[in-house]
Amino acid sequence: MKTIGTFEVDGLTLREPPARDACFKVVTRDAEMQEFAPDDPRALRETVHRHMSNEITSLDIAAQCILEFPDAPWELRLELARQCWDESRHVQVLHRRLTELGGHKGEFPISTFEWSITCALDSLAGRLATQNRTFEAGAMDVVGQLAPAVEAAGDPETAAVLQGILADEVHHVRFANRWIKSFVEQDRRVLLKVAGAVRFLDRANAALQSRKGEANAAGRAMDAPEARVPAVNVEDRRLAEFSDDEIAVILKQAGFRSLVQP
Amino acid sequence: MSLGVPERARHVGTFRFLSVRLMETVAAWTPTTPEMEVKVMFGRHIWDFAQHADALGRRTFELRQRAQQSFPPSDAYTALLDEVLAVEGTAARLAALYDGLLPAVRRRYEEYAAAVDAVVDQPTLVIVERILADLGRQRAEADRVRRELGLATPGGEPLLARERALPLLSAAS
Repeated sequence: MKTIGTFEVDGLTLREPPARDACFKVVTRDAEMQEFAPDDPRALRETVHRHMSNEITSLDIAAQCILEFPDAPWELRLELARQCWDESRHVQVLHRRLTELGGHKGEFPISTFEWSITCALDSLAGRLATQNRTFEAGAMDVVGQLAPAVEAAGDPETAAVLQGILADEVHHVRFANRWIKSFVEQDRRVLLKVAGAVRFLDRANAALQSRKGEANAAGRAMDAPEARVPAVNVEDRRLAEFSDDEIAVILKQAGFRSLVQP
Repeated sequence: MSLGVPERARHVGTFRFLSVRLMETVAAWTPTTPEMEVKVMFGRHIWDFAQHADALGRRTFELRQRAQQSFPPSDAYTALLDEVLAVEGTAARLAALYDGLLPAVRRRYEEYAAAVDAVVDQPTLVIVERILADLGRQRAEADRVRRELGLATPGGEPLLARERALPLLSAAS
């Protein structure tokens, strides 16, 4: 069986992208994506397309974890298998919504950044810390903010799709939090793997994210990375079993901006 | 004379092994298959196979084995599973799995159902019924996605015939 190889960026060894339909243009750097100004008619389609692409990547990552960690506890493999189904439904429903909005797959560039980082890590705890506990938890913040904004802009259909996805993501983050705690209780050295994964992610982010004022592929000047941190979805992070101390740290990183739940 | 408890436990544990291997095979194919619609179908089927394995693994405990106990099949059968895992290309993968291996596995379940006392082993048969229903749905979904994408259809018959000639259970059973 062929395996997916690696590539180098700024001294980091990342995983080559997973397979994608030929219609997709896969890019590596943030600035190569097309993120439009909110009032641009293409903005919502690009957002839906981006989320759809991220869900494909999440499916690929969960599947790869099942493959590459055959000795993981059965209950955790079961969670990952369930996640595969959840992510595949998310792809389906976002693709349906994209089509309803007049878009199509491959309409905008996509990135498989999350795969390239997560699947470069050699421990399952590290992957759960990166993909589920960081990327998916970050998506909870983004979607928690986006869904009400889309609804307020007069698109309840897209908002309902996003809210449905958000509920599933809470559990993906929660099971990762539970299993990381369980692994650490069994072996404190797992903490080193988790810390190493977080450092690796920080370095990759620094290498690949756009800088303040840099123009993206849509010609829009990007904000500074710290200004792009979304407000924290405190309620869902609690449901996902982040501790109050952990939420306090995340709030600090986000400039103490939190979502106000309706 | 229907199968006794040790033989049934061996079969159920072997079916569990097959379900786990099917989950792993489809999981292995997901990142290396380009078509989004096929990935989406694989995502559902990974979860199906995981649930089959889990239900069978609960049943092994009821049959005096460890919970989630798997028994590897015969070496020849394991080699066939390895061969399927190594198939490259979307159309060839779909043919190997949905036209070849899964119809063969389906027949193994049906043979098992015919070999046990339908009342004594009803808890296993309830699981098998559910699995057979899922396998039928999976085949229909694979056919639909092939039609949608214009992928070449059936071609798993040689694999189906080869599987038929192999012993499922390992010699240890």
